[in-house]
Amino acid sequence: MKRGSSIILFVCVLVTVLAAAMPAGASEEGKLLIWADEVRATVMTEFAAGFEAKYKMKITVQQTNFKDIKEQLGTAGPAGSGPDIIVGQHDWLGEFVTSGLIEPIDLGDKQKDFSPSSLQAFTWGKSLYGLPYGIESVGLIYNKALVPKPPKTWTELVSRGRKLSNKAKGQWGFTMPQPDPYHTFPLMSATGAYVFGVNADGTLNPLNVGLNNKGGVFGLQLLVDLVKAGIMPLGCDYDTMINLFKTGKVAMIIAGPWTFADFRAAKVNFGFTKLPTVKGKIMRPFVGVAGFMVSAHGKNKMLAKTFLTEFVATKSAMKSLFDKDPRPPAYIPLAKEVTDPDISGVLANAATGIPMPAIPEMGSVWNAWSNAISLALNGQLTPQKALDDAVDQIVAAIKRGM
Amino acid sequence: MTGVRLKRSGGCLGVLLKIAMLGLANALTLWAAPVLIGDRQYGLLAGLFLGVLAIDYVFIAKKAYPVRFLLPGFLLLTLMVVCPIGYTIYVAFTNFSSGHILSKQMAIDQYRNRYVKQVDLPAYKSGYFRNRAGAIVVLMTDRRGNRLIGREGKAYPLEISGLNPVDSDNDGNLDHLGDFIRLGTQQIFPMIGKLQNLTFAYRDVLLKMNSLEEFASYLPQYRYDARQDSLVDKTTGVIYYARAGRFASTNGTYLDIGYRTAVGWRNFKDLLTDRRIANPFLRVLMWTLIWATFSVIGAFTLGILLAVLLDDVKLRLRGLYRALLIIPYAFPVFVSALIWRGLFNVEFGQINAMLAPILGFKIPWLQDPFWAKVALLITNLWLGFPYMMLISLGALQSIPNELREAATVDGASGWQQFSFITLPLLLSMLLPLLIASFAFNFNNFNVIYLVTEGRPAIPGALTPTGATDILISYTYRMAFEGGVGARNYGLAATVSLFIFLIVSAITWINFKFTGALKEAPER
Repeated sequence: MKRGSSIILFVCVLVTVLAAAMPAGASEEGKLLIWADEVRATVMTEFAAGFEAKYKMKITVQQTNFKDIKEQLGTAGPAGSGPDIIVGQHDWLGEFVTSGLIEPIDLGDKQKDFSPSSLQAFTWGKSLYGLPYGIESVGLIYNKALVPKPPKTWTELVSRGRKLSNKAKGQWGFTMPQPDPYHTFPLMSATGAYVFGVNADGTLNPLNVGLNNKGGVFGLQLLVDLVKAGIMPLGCDYDTMINLFKTGKVAMIIAGPWTFADFRAAKVNFGFTKLPTVKGKIMRPFVGVAGFMVSAHGKNKMLAKTFLTEFVATKSAMKSLFDKDPRPPAYIPLAKEVTDPDISGVLANAATGIPMPAIPEMGSVWNAWSNAISLALNGQLTPQKALDDAVDQIVAAIKRGM
Repeated sequence: MTGVRLKRSGGCLGVLLKIAMLGLANALTLWAAPVLIGDRQYGLLAGLFLGVLAIDYVFIAKKAYPVRFLLPGFLLLTLMVVCPIGYTIYVAFTNFSSGHILSKQMAIDQYRNRYVKQVDLPAYKSGYFRNRAGAIVVLMTDRRGNRLIGREGKAYPLEISGLNPVDSDNDGNLDHLGDFIRLGTQQIFPMIGKLQNLTFAYRDVLLKMNSLEEFASYLPQYRYDARQDSLVDKTTGVIYYARAGRFASTNGTYLDIGYRTAVGWRNFKDLLTDRRIANPFLRVLMWTLIWATFSVIGAFTLGILLAVLLDDVKLRLRGLYRALLIIPYAFPVFVSALIWRGLFNVEFGQINAMLAPILGFKIPWLQDPFWAKVALLITNLWLGFPYMMLISLGALQSIPNELREAATVDGASGWQQFSFITLPLLLSMLLPLLIASFAFNFNNFNVIYLVTEGRPAIPGALTPTGATDILISYTYRMAFEGGVGARNYGLAATVSLFIFLIVSAITWINFKFTGALKEAPER
């Protein structure tokens, strides 16, 4: 009996080893494998069917967590078990390109159908590394029942927020995810903060970090003041913000178009509009571009590129993507037809926004910056000291990485 | 007699089963061989063959009979323990991190496969043909109708190829080229991996696939110079030398793709000497020790207290209390830890909702380094005491009642009985478990990550480090959340080695206390 079970055990081990040697989700010659998150996986599956019908070939769409796509491509790709195509975000570009994970693509004649800024976002050096489809940026989302007319200036937002806040009843005027550099950046950028300075030739200078300049400190102080005034709850994370807004417990938030579906499902009467001005200056949010990238380690690069240029870069595909995941389209023929006021709101914010830096040095920025925001909000450090520390740390990290 | 026969027939079946299993294992290995060769996993292949050979020998040779019970365990140990440790040690000596993911050869290959499209030269419509032997030729037709044949790395006009073009259905497309037959789209796809890498030298350019239906003229952009270990950009003439994980030119510019390479003791040096890495590391180490110690002491104290109370026969509804008190243990940690996180929320949490009216202020549970640690210890106390209570209850049963009765007769008070009889006896029984619990909490990633994510941050740390990070969460965040040049697997592997040393020490102490390393006493 013992002997038998040890043999069975051995066979199990062997099977495990073999299974490990041939991952189920690997790119196979003649078959396309796409990694997409849950929203886009459904759309991709739909138009994969069209491609399959035309070229009589198999396309597998593997639903993968948005965050996992970025984390796993680095290990799965070079090991030969990665996908042919991924759906992601332009600011991943730096890490992907320097790690040798994605492939330049050539859109040929179709290039003119895409908005130049979205193509620029997916350009690294002189090569295009992705097919853009959606543009996104945060804006001011307000509950129309509580705020009939959205505030145009920060002062207005604060005074309106103060009237709506009632700490005892758990009612708040305004909130945003904390500590979150992405959502906090517009406040800091309005008065002049920047992440990386721009060289004379238009490239970014990673050693010139401008988060702790006067504007940055001023912006962060505004946020600290909101907490002190009892307008914004301390320790509110993204999920808490969504819940508060859904239940009408907070009147205004800074968030992006990806929250729309959630709020519509909860039947909140909300509006999306331009961020208010600070001291008469425009808040400039980060602009992100969503798009498709081709893995450098897939076995069907040519097929992948054909799939993207012939099937994804079409109006019908772009339309179905837009219907499922409403972000302002990067595809010009479709963008012309969109009339949704919320989507125009996103575009208005994006128009004055700053492209999210895609250089790999950005990886060293998020964490330190996020820490600075939390240290300032918790009152452990002044905004000036917190941001000085963060910049110090960012520059040190970047210098080491070089 | 019948008994003997039965035994023999069972043995026969056993032998058959054995042979069948061994045969299956060998067959599977043979089947795996081409796959592994295809993936160039020669090390794995060698290991697999050696493993199977060892198994064959052990199960067939009579002499090796005793080993057959050890071998599966040994193979598993090698596979699951020794290999990962070896790999971690290797990674600790490399610069493996974002931007240094590929091997050097892979990085060079990527650059060798970069081509510059010659847009002023013609593009060709392509058709693919294959003969019986599986050789491929590509027919390329330019806009003026000139036809080229691409074969074995070279392209030349169809007329001098010696292949006889046949258009059997007269549709303007050739169907045969000599004994080569045109491939349909469906036949092309399974070969696309090969076709997309075909290049044909034509005049001074290379013809290469541009899209499924088109070939175009290209020139390779880079040339690898093995002697100088450099990549030369042919379009600009700049030479990039392979230096410390990147290709760098003499004027300070770099090629985008970096590669993975050995960096010696650099990670160890950074961890121990770079102030902004070493200081947070030491803080994390200190907190890990405090965390593990207090978690064990807290859970043990509460657990034993409740066990003694529940052990009292005079207590009514003991069963109910016991059941209720085990709930935290029965609950999945993922659920309860997240609930605790919610309870500790400074504005919306129930704990502050109850405490604030009494204290007059709200405790910043998850924001302040001190309170965050307290919050974690409370959470872990709640999660940990039922286990201690359970094992103490069990241990209490094994303490003979006579001892306590005798003490009562001698006039000892309840407290004296507990501190002089029960506790010492319990401790001697439970000590190994306490040490095991210490080792468990030392690496208790779940609670830390679910409740605080290691936050709040330590100001000025170069790695993503928080005041409540323990070594294991610190390592995880370094490897997967970024900091120094984003994901840093090399440095994280170095920290894992330190954790390995510390946990080994704890285990050794544990063995020493329990006498597991001692030889069995002679009788």
